Amino acid sequence: MQEVTAQPNAAPQLKIKKPQRSSELKKRIWRNKWLYVMLTPGVLYFIIFKYFPMYGLIISFQDYKPYKGIMGSEWVGLQHFQRLFTEADFLNILSNTLILFGMNLLFYFPVPIILALMLNELRGTFFKRFFQTLVYIPHFMSWVIIVSISFVMVTMDGGIINELLTYFGFEKVNFLLSPGWFRPMYIIQIIWREAGWGTIIYLASIAAIDPGLYEAARMDGAGRLRQIWHITLPAIRGVIVTLFILKIGSVLDLGFEHVYLLLNSMNREVAEIIDTYVYTAGMRQGKFSYSTAIGFFKSIIGLIMVMAVNKISKKMGEEGVY
Amino acid sequence: MKKKSFSIFLTTLLTFSVMLSACSGGNSSNSSKESKDPVSTNEGNKAAVVEAEGPTEIKIMLPLNTSETPPDTIKTEVEKITNTKLTYQFFPADTYEEKLNTSLATGSLPQVVYLKNQTTFVQMKESIKDGQFWEIGPYMSEFPNLSKLKPEILNNTKVDGKLYSLYIGRPLARQGIIYRKDWADKLGLSAPKNVDELFKMAKAFTEQDPDGNGIKDTIGVVDRNELIYGAFKTVSSWFGTPNTWGEQDGQLAPEFTFSQYVDTMDFFKKLREGGYMNQDFAATSKTDAVNMFTSGKAGLYIGGSMQDIDSLNKDLIKNVPDAVLDTHSMVAGPDGKITQWMIPGYNNVALFPKTAVKDEAELKKILAYFDKMMTPEVSNLMYWGIEGIHYTVEDGKAKAGDDKELIEREVKGYKDSVIGEAETNGMYQPYNVLPGRIHAEELLLENVKFGVADPTAALDSATYTSKGVELQQIITDATYNYIYGQLDKAGFEKQVESWKSRGGAQIIEEYNAAR
Repeated sequence: MQEVTAQPNAAPQLKIKKPQRSSELKKRIWRNKWLYVMLTPGVLYFIIFKYFPMYGLIISFQDYKPYKGIMGSEWVGLQHFQRLFTEADFLNILSNTLILFGMNLLFYFPVPIILALMLNELRGTFFKRFFQTLVYIPHFMSWVIIVSISFVMVTMDGGIINELLTYFGFEKVNFLLSPGWFRPMYIIQIIWREAGWGTIIYLASIAAIDPGLYEAARMDGAGRLRQIWHITLPAIRGVIVTLFILKIGSVLDLGFEHVYLLLNSMNREVAEIIDTYVYTAGMRQGKFSYSTAIGFFKSIIGLIMVMAVNKISKKMGEEGVY
Repeated sequence: MKKKSFSIFLTTLLTFSVMLSACSGGNSSNSSKESKDPVSTNEGNKAAVVEAEGPTEIKIMLPLNTSETPPDTIKTEVEKITNTKLTYQFFPADTYEEKLNTSLATGSLPQVVYLKNQTTFVQMKESIKDGQFWEIGPYMSEFPNLSKLKPEILNNTKVDGKLYSLYIGRPLARQGIIYRKDWADKLGLSAPKNVDELFKMAKAFTEQDPDGNGIKDTIGVVDRNELIYGAFKTVSSWFGTPNTWGEQDGQLAPEFTFSQYVDTMDFFKKLREGGYMNQDFAATSKTDAVNMFTSGKAGLYIGGSMQDIDSLNKDLIKNVPDAVLDTHSMVAGPDGKITQWMIPGYNNVALFPKTAVKDEAELKKILAYFDKMMTPEVSNLMYWGIEGIHYTVEDGKAKAGDDKELIEREVKGYKDSVIGEAETNGMYQPYNVLPGRIHAEELLLENVKFGVADPTAALDSATYTSKGVELQQIITDATYNYIYGQLDKAGFEKQVESWKSRGGAQIIEEYNAAR
């Protein structure tokens, strides 16, 4: 805040001999002052909500006692990290997280792209708008509502799906309480809620494609699918890669709420992920240092993944995120 | 021009900073209307110290078991009588542990902190031992009404032999069955005397069309995802399983190492496989379970407090006008013996954090408020509401008014915070109308004769305090997996071994050493 405000006013009174460059810089800043003003809230947001809380990471190396504060708590080195890596369930939880993430990438990530291509093929603005709205509305429902709706549909105690199964002479299926059904339910719910919302960015970048390209392709006798393959997809490749990199960054960050709502004693072996584990340890059992250590570990893995994927994409000649 | 643009710039900045600070303050979604930003806890206390003659300002945080924060109707009356200025911060019971832990971590606990239940109390013990809360034992004798609190229950709440908390009293043994008497009568069944008859009743309620609509759409038992306050623990106690811990060869051992625990699991396994209970009980919330019962789909509600019959009845007769409910307990085990588990006489406690209560003088002022709470005048007000509006007095007992919704909205929030019990704080006993509820009150007293207490209630185990809750999850999961047929007996034993190897063995050792 300070440095941004001081710059423009200080300019007239200060007459110290300075190299040409800095006055050049001042001029440039002054000329674009409104851009800097617009930048301020964003910078402040990151400083206040992203950088400042990092101070709290200190407690992952301490035996943090709330009433002693961060300054007064005892240092324990890497004890909490050791505990995490030696925890009996740790490998299980980590592999659950990775499997869910892998499925997410495999089954969910392509869906918005396909959906956007399909929406793009719709002729008639009204229909396009209508369907687009229809598919992204679920995004505005909370996970609690979506999981509750699913519960009512699939429960063995009078859920419609099990009722239909019995009606057609099949056995009832225990969707809610069997380890085998947890992952499919998770993926289906994610697709149902998020696919429509995910199309927005793709549709925007498809809209920016020069129509002339399509016309030329049509002249050359390309059909609908050919046009998609040779024009639309290459045009949005950059967007796909960028979103993919960002997605990879959240490899261990699956969103706690959704999994936590589906979690129960019967599917814990496949459904306990790092996020739910942190929540249980930290929020419900008050092990602040330990859960901070896990969160720290998670962030580092995410950082490494983003950097690696970014490098790979640059090697492939794509933009990358930085 | 320049000036103007600069002032616009400043305005923009100001706007943003206000927005930012507004966002950062808005993290407690349901603090009550009158509570200011819950982060600042110490402003009121300083003022209170200065003007010693004015009303004492007290901030209190407590769990809320209803959907909305109660209005100030009751609070205003209490403030008048007790010369206090009270701020009750209600937080939903479902997420109360989180709220408690985050407030503790950020040092923003108010002067009085109610916990949620005995489990949260165990988790708090570490902080209590660290000296984060005031020890109130030495001051108790100065307050005539607080001195009336029952010493045996106070002993159950002591940590390392010292008293830090005031308890909210509850009947020792209020668990039992609430069942559809009209169904039982129709099928010619009497209340189950033993666990076999209980099973038969659940079976009959499922198979013999007790609601007479010609469709097989009823079940016997409705249960939820909770082993202690659901059906499991109560039935296990009828099977003769000890209460959490029991004696085996002169040594204390956890309940799940007893054969009766396995018998109970078999009972539920058979019940579920037969279709005599809700199939998805391990994923069913309390609300859903209650709805299943009050919609007339299920016939037996086991394990909750038998006093809940009033609220269950209220909702059930909306759906099934001629339904009749009754209560029942003292079901004998396979060997003909009757045992009934008991709680340690309290279901929650209130603590006083040192971060918010600065000195003895302030602590005494707060204790004085609780001392006044233990007079009939205040305890009736907080437990029953305002006479003539929420209740009337009949035969020296309180008869709740007809507008149950109003009572739920205005009184329930405070009702759960009254310390002590009717014998010690002098509030009215309930005047009951519903036959099933009158029966329940008799059963409560009978139950105690067969009561089994938890032998570890007043004992201390460091490992249990730090890891007990986490380890219990292993057993809870294994129990459900056994009932659902995913684990056999050997598999269950293996999980018990896992519990032992991960710290359970130490807990057993420590409890036995502490006796």
